[in-house]
Amino acid sequence: MNAFPILSLIVWLPALGALGVLALPRANLQAQRAVAMGAALLALAAAILLVVLFDRNQAGFQFVESFAWVPSWGISYTVSVDGISLWLVALTAFLTPIALAASHGAIERQERAFLALVLMLASGMTGVFVAQDMLLFYVFFEFTLVPTALLIGIWGGAGRRQAAIKFFVYTFAGSVFLLPGIIGLHLLHRQATGVATFDIATILASLQLGAFQLDPAAERLLFGLFFIGFAVKAPIWPFHTWMTTAHAEAPSSGAIDIAGLILKIGAYGLIRFNVQLFPAAAAWAAPAIGVLAVISIVYAAWVAYQQTDMKRLLAYASVSHLGFIVLGMFALNAQGIAGAVAHMVNSALTTGALFLVVGMLAARRDSRDLRAFGGMWKATPVLGSLTLILVLGAIGLPGLNGFASEFALLQGAWRSPGIGWRYTLLAVLGVALAAVYLLHMYRATFMGEVPPDLAQTPDVRPRELVLLTTMATVVVVLGLYPALLFGPMQQSVTQIAQGTLQYLASR
Amino acid sequence: MSFQLTDIPRILPELMLLLLALLVVGSDVLTRWGRDPKARAERAREAGQLTAIGLGLVFVVALIQSRLLFTVPDPTGGPLDVLLTLGRNLQAGGPGGPALLGAFATDEFTMVARLTFVGAALLTSLLAMGYRLTANPGEFYSLLIFSTLGMSLMAAATEFILAYLALELSSIALYVLAGYFRESDRSPEAGLKYFLFGSLSSAIFLYGISLVYGFVASENQKAGGTPIIATLFSEVGRLATGEAASNPLLTLGMLFIVAGLGYKISVVPFHSWAPDVYQGAPPPVTAFLSTASKTAGFLLLYRLLTTAFPGAVGAPRLETFSGWTSLLAILALVTVIVANLAALPQTNARRLLAYSSIGHAGFVLLAILLWTSSSQVDRDFGTMALFYYLITYTITNVGSFGVLAVVSGAIGNDDLSDMNGMWRRNLPLTLMMTILILSLAGIPPLAGFWAKFFVFMAGYQAGAVPLVAIAVVMTVVSLYYYLRFLKAMWMNPAPATTPIVTPRIANAAIVASTILVVLLGIVPNLIWGALSGTTAFAGR
Repeated sequence: MNAFPILSLIVWLPALGALGVLALPRANLQAQRAVAMGAALLALAAAILLVVLFDRNQAGFQFVESFAWVPSWGISYTVSVDGISLWLVALTAFLTPIALAASHGAIERQERAFLALVLMLASGMTGVFVAQDMLLFYVFFEFTLVPTALLIGIWGGAGRRQAAIKFFVYTFAGSVFLLPGIIGLHLLHRQATGVATFDIATILASLQLGAFQLDPAAERLLFGLFFIGFAVKAPIWPFHTWMTTAHAEAPSSGAIDIAGLILKIGAYGLIRFNVQLFPAAAAWAAPAIGVLAVISIVYAAWVAYQQTDMKRLLAYASVSHLGFIVLGMFALNAQGIAGAVAHMVNSALTTGALFLVVGMLAARRDSRDLRAFGGMWKATPVLGSLTLILVLGAIGLPGLNGFASEFALLQGAWRSPGIGWRYTLLAVLGVALAAVYLLHMYRATFMGEVPPDLAQTPDVRPRELVLLTTMATVVVVLGLYPALLFGPMQQSVTQIAQGTLQYLASR
Repeated sequence: MSFQLTDIPRILPELMLLLLALLVVGSDVLTRWGRDPKARAERAREAGQLTAIGLGLVFVVALIQSRLLFTVPDPTGGPLDVLLTLGRNLQAGGPGGPALLGAFATDEFTMVARLTFVGAALLTSLLAMGYRLTANPGEFYSLLIFSTLGMSLMAAATEFILAYLALELSSIALYVLAGYFRESDRSPEAGLKYFLFGSLSSAIFLYGISLVYGFVASENQKAGGTPIIATLFSEVGRLATGEAASNPLLTLGMLFIVAGLGYKISVVPFHSWAPDVYQGAPPPVTAFLSTASKTAGFLLLYRLLTTAFPGAVGAPRLETFSGWTSLLAILALVTVIVANLAALPQTNARRLLAYSSIGHAGFVLLAILLWTSSSQVDRDFGTMALFYYLITYTITNVGSFGVLAVVSGAIGNDDLSDMNGMWRRNLPLTLMMTILILSLAGIPPLAGFWAKFFVFMAGYQAGAVPLVAIAVVMTVVSLYYYLRFLKAMWMNPAPATTPIVTPRIANAAIVASTILVVLLGIVPNLIWGALSGTTAFAGR
């Protein structure tokens, strides 16, 4: 038990900020922005402190805070982090102020409500990553839906209502499968051990000690229920269509794309539940999931290349990245999982930053169509060079952040008995296609002859410069020194991989 | 088994309701009956205020009596002795003791049910006060109270005749209330429809009872005695064990009883009256009809089935018929499917919520299925899940129908399109409706989520896994039509910018239910503890 509730602080600070923003008078926009940004920055500071204080020699959950919630059913408010969730918490805390800053000036109406909803969303997502109680996880998981749907539905483009409804229905449809999964796991655990609990750590411990053994049929059923929920949320092909619509209709500024859509809640759930709790079923399902992952990678990359709307292009890029993440995860060895977790962070950083760039371009031209641009380098060299760093990072150029994680996860996949080199070779095709679609986008916007009406486009404004430089710096730093990212997660990842190894050895 | 004077505190809340109903009619006679609108409004307000205050008083008395909050200490000789003695005497009639005359149980089951009904009636009376009532307000409010009285008796009944009388008392009052707006097109139709279906279902219920009587008499005769008819649930339950439990006469009687009560709780295929009635009845009446009346039906059904037919529980399997749990499982299956699909194309908000409330009845049935388990812990969980669902459902639906009452009071209609862009016209009301709708959809952390969670868990434990799976899928379908509310209110453009004014008194009811929904969502323990007593209901 930690004396200082640092995790609760990170979770609830943005929500408090949201209430603060709503309490301010409608007219005082400056104060609203200041309060929102203040709350987000405080949460970021707390998250940095968390990373510093994190004990990297420990595999299990740290900074545990626990209060009984519904004691008679073993439901508790328990939050904690391990090496995997640590980075996702940090990522959320890092991206929230970026998203707030990106929205300044780009939201024409009801900015107060917008700021409040973004902050609520940040709270909900951090909650998902820190929840150690399954029910609490589910509550936060669902809680993220409402703000995201409202953000798209109120501030989005022409098809926003349809997109918001589609988003909500799709992800809710996926997530309701989680509920029977959670109930089933809870009841089976109670039958086996007599302990009524929803605590992941407790269930994990009983699984590892052998006090709680699932028979293969039940384990596969539970695995399937959780998998459907997270695969839709992630999203993996063929459940991805909500995501591309949502990105396309979300406001151009990119704030919501960053805040709500690219964070890897679904992928995190896959690691936390499917891989960690059901190693046998994961090993059983790995080849099939590998197929889905490879289809996601190649298909989404190919479709991305066909797009002319830059946000759609990036949305498909995001789906393709998720294919890599899932592939690495279901390699079920330490390299694969570590690479997958690191790639979650890296992909969110680079794709998120590129969404910001698209927002900036769209603000200059009032269009997100590739064909409307060209030769922007001449007019906006600073924007062009920063974008180049981000694009190369997303492609996975050695020395930038995408490379290390992609390399690790592909290496893991190659060595995995369930996935193997055939899948990996196909996935590598996806790496090449990533270069194709991203460089295609870059060429169409920044290279070539500049159309006359674009020649006078203003270059980056100070706010945009700060945003992009921050992102680009992180991309470079993580690329040059990936151990920063891999170090703290090593113990937790090894522990998960050992669970699978044990199972494979015992078979 | 005779009635004594000391038993009066045990039925004090019911007596108070009876007196209150008479008082409301009586005092209405004595007020000024002007024809001008001002005098009419005055008269309506007086009747409403008397009802609200009276129901509030009954609620407090029932709450103290139930010992849910506190137990009054012994008098200590201090200045508060009068109050303490009063409280002690009141609580002497609290939960416990044998059923009065074997027919009226005063266990915690009754106490909690009573609080639910009186609470719902109180909120409904507040909604009604905010709604334009033109004619005969005294009758309106007293019928509301009579109906509450009937429901309270229904939940407490442990005997067939009392159960039937209570059912009739609550229903007849509601028939009149549903047709109360004589000048509107739909209200008389709703009243008549409700009356026809209701009286038919009462007849079916009664026929089922008579078959059960026949069974009891023949069993008594077989045992060598005289063919005496026993009317207590527990007496039937005692005889209907072992071989006798599968007696076709008994099974047929049980089928008729479930069908008769099926109308009251509006499960498919006995639901066809509900959409028309919910849409046509005066909006505050709909709020009451869809919540308290349904809750009463469920509680009577639960007590009746578990006490009178314990031998015919069976298992909730869909393939073979093996007792009333499999019957209810089939009903639950068709109910969740038909209701949720039928709700999709609706355009009228109240009609849509009517189908949603039919769908909810299907979910509630899942909790009852857990009686099939032989473990007492499981059965207790089922009972608590049932109560939890019914209470949160009552609170949420009173609130959401209350919002529709406000909308229809302000605009004159309550189609979904009338709620377009409502957030520009009344933001607080829209926010509250959003919370209530999300709770109905089962989004955490609102009360409706826990209710769904508990009944799914109950269904799962009862072994009805395929049924739970279908219910889960139907939850997604239901989300789609709930989102249509949110879409209309938040995303569609408003046809006018004139604000929708919420009458202050109706606002109180809606705010109260919204706060409860949020509170019970964040701390579900708040009533879960209180419900633990309901599991030991009398007459089992």
